Amino acid sequence: MSAVPSASPPVPVHGETLLIADNVSKTFPGVIALDEVTFEVRAGEVNALVGENGAGKSTLIKIMSGNYAPDGGEVRVEGNRLEATPAAAHRARVATIHQDSHLVPNMTVAENIMLGHWPVRFGIISRREQYRRAQQAISLVAPSLSPNMLAHRLSPAEGQLVEIARAISENSRVLIMDEPTTSLSGREIEQLFRVVDGLKAQGMGIVFVSHWLEEVFRIADRVTVLRDGRLVGTQPADTLDADGVIRMMVGRDVAHVTAQPRPIGDTVLRVRNLTRVGVVDDISFEVRAGEIVTLAGLVGAGRTELASCIFGADPYESGSVELGGQTVSPGSPHPAIQAGIGLVPEDRRHQGLVANLSVSTNATLAVLDRIAPNGFLSRRLEDEAVATATRSVAVKMASTSVPISTLSGGNQQKVVIGRWLARQPKLLILDEPTKGIDVGSKAEISEIIIRLATAGTAILLISSEMPEVLSLSDRVLVMRSGRIVGELDRSNLTPEAVISLATTG
Amino acid sequence: MSEANSAPTPVAPVQESTRFLDLVQSLGLLIVIIIGGVMLSFGSPVFFTRINIENLLFSSTIIAVMAIGQAFVILVAGIDLSVGAVLALSSVLGVVLATQFGFPVIIAALVALGVGAGIGLLNGLAVTKLRVPALIATLAMMSVTRGVAYLISDGRNIAPVPSIFIEIQSLRIFGVPFVIIFTAMVALLAHFVLTRTRFGREIFATGGNAVAARLAGIKTDRVILIAYVISGSAAALGGLMITARLEAGAATAGFGYELTVISAVVIGGVSLFGGEGKITGVLLGVILLGLVQNAVNLLNVPPNYDYIVSGAVIAAAAALDVYRRSYVESGLRKRTMLIRREKSQNRTGSE
Repeated sequence: MSAVPSASPPVPVHGETLLIADNVSKTFPGVIALDEVTFEVRAGEVNALVGENGAGKSTLIKIMSGNYAPDGGEVRVEGNRLEATPAAAHRARVATIHQDSHLVPNMTVAENIMLGHWPVRFGIISRREQYRRAQQAISLVAPSLSPNMLAHRLSPAEGQLVEIARAISENSRVLIMDEPTTSLSGREIEQLFRVVDGLKAQGMGIVFVSHWLEEVFRIADRVTVLRDGRLVGTQPADTLDADGVIRMMVGRDVAHVTAQPRPIGDTVLRVRNLTRVGVVDDISFEVRAGEIVTLAGLVGAGRTELASCIFGADPYESGSVELGGQTVSPGSPHPAIQAGIGLVPEDRRHQGLVANLSVSTNATLAVLDRIAPNGFLSRRLEDEAVATATRSVAVKMASTSVPISTLSGGNQQKVVIGRWLARQPKLLILDEPTKGIDVGSKAEISEIIIRLATAGTAILLISSEMPEVLSLSDRVLVMRSGRIVGELDRSNLTPEAVISLATTG
Repeated sequence: MSEANSAPTPVAPVQESTRFLDLVQSLGLLIVIIIGGVMLSFGSPVFFTRINIENLLFSSTIIAVMAIGQAFVILVAGIDLSVGAVLALSSVLGVVLATQFGFPVIIAALVALGVGAGIGLLNGLAVTKLRVPALIATLAMMSVTRGVAYLISDGRNIAPVPSIFIEIQSLRIFGVPFVIIFTAMVALLAHFVLTRTRFGREIFATGGNAVAARLAGIKTDRVILIAYVISGSAAALGGLMITARLEAGAATAGFGYELTVISAVVIGGVSLFGGEGKITGVLLGVILLGLVQNAVNLLNVPPNYDYIVSGAVIAAAAALDVYRRSYVESGLRKRTMLIRREKSQNRTGSE
């Protein structure tokens, strides 16, 4: 009668293959996400899956968890072919923990753990049995957590542990963890890793996806590297080091891009006493032609908000923004753009792109007035503008008519940057331009920024990535709680100085 | 080895092979219509006659004009429920001004159109400035507008109408009813605006992602406002057309038209989320609905079944459309695979 097998599963033999994705391929419009990739998880090991964004990690995970059907090849779990439905994966005892929580917010921890495999008798859920089993699973991963707590009150870390408890209660043999540490603090990560170590010792096979190589080396027994949808190789973790993995990821040594000193011109942007109550407080600074000025600081220090004010996207109470001596009126980005400011926003997907439209339409979004001089689009001018926008930043794509959503993150970002190049802005504001994009594209975007500065564009960069801040900036303005708390130039720019100003300045 | 990180790599031949898929994509509804038409011509000897086809198109013109206007609003991710009521007000207003207040007919017609545009403007302001959800704002406007139409006409049909209405209604150019030619011209204009003008681009960008469009310098509020003005004007135009057809100004005209119009637009492939759609699709959506009505009449479906049949066809058309989209998508995937194969032949193995 019971829907859940109550007998414990046979003890797995360490080293036996639990799951194998055998020569799997998958394509989407415009991209081949996976090309004949083979990936294997053994009992009692952590196989870490690494690769740049767009390398095919997410697709491989979705195939192994039954969310996607492969176009070629197959997934076998303990020798049996896996059907491409999430339910089949559950039956095959493959559990997946996604980056974002997949808990039902208004159910308790216990209800979430037992979701979909409720202890049922005559169609009625036994609450006591549910509670008992949930408690059992949870005691293994987070003994301090109450099964009666509502899921929406859990922290991200606790949510993740509950999802692991769910996998345990399902007697899962394979656990796939998709960037589980993204929203966790250092202490929480360590706790998670201890749980993972425990599961490993019990013979579970674990797939671990992470961008952080330190974590990979802390937890992984083997490391599998994907690049451009292809398998580069799987190797024991103790035969590798971080540089080696990076070389495998990018297929070459990553050259460090560093801005060289270059002639600095007249003041382009002058911000005076700009205040938006509760957001930015009495900000004054200048950016000169050819200069790269970086706003550093912690998330929430008011950097993005300051950029929004300068660009006219957000209103402000007092102060002024001048570009080339002319005051830029606030309230809408339009006057700022006309005056010669461009903005590459932080959130590419929600603020930068119109996902369903073509590359060419996205690339010309900021120059509609130029490609349609009398309101009518000129195909010739449009083609020219598209060429300027995409060639100068070397966008890799099948054609300019494919939807921009089919491009990789790095290439999407290049289109968003390229969009402004056709306008030849006097000032380009880039808000976290390399966030969430692959290492190779990062270097290319740094090069583009340097090239623009060398050509005389004033650059206002917002970056939280220390290497980028150090290698590109002529000057760094550190912000904290809506104020500029310090200024560093090349002579005194060190990571310690930036961090100390950002946290205590 | 040969990582293409230096040169841009546009691949030209791709466009050729997409053409067939594009064709399937845009012709999907046409295929449904043709199949429906063939089946109908077996069911009724009258169907495939010039008079019946002409009738079908003729009776679709009002919905077509309104649907074209509505398409602009739905493309910017809005919705306009007030169109049926605007049609009624425009009908009443046009006749009352011309016959009871002695305005020249052309002035009366322009005022009616202007009032339609004005109602659209109010809708647009409510949505962009007051941030009232479009569904609520236009629902309220629907009620008020219908009320004003009743107030002016006291709920009675106002007849006779100026003779010019009837003359235009029966006017033919090269044997084709002028009303059909006129509607085709409206469609052509809308198609041109959406595909070949700056405003058209702004419509698609605003509907696709308003935040990104605004940050790229597009005045999104203004774009949305104009879309509602277009819809209101188109509905008022529909009001003048229905006046000619009914030979009366009728406050009761166009009840429920908003749903027919929106169905046509959505069946025609315009995404309710905005940013996606074509005028050709909208026209095909209108014709499909007209075809269903025509079938109901020709096959003597008992009037009580009328709504059920219409609903079933709408559901079937929508389902078929989803299937067609997934067919196109899988085609695109196969195409990608081929391109990649080609590319990989130029590569040296990197393992």
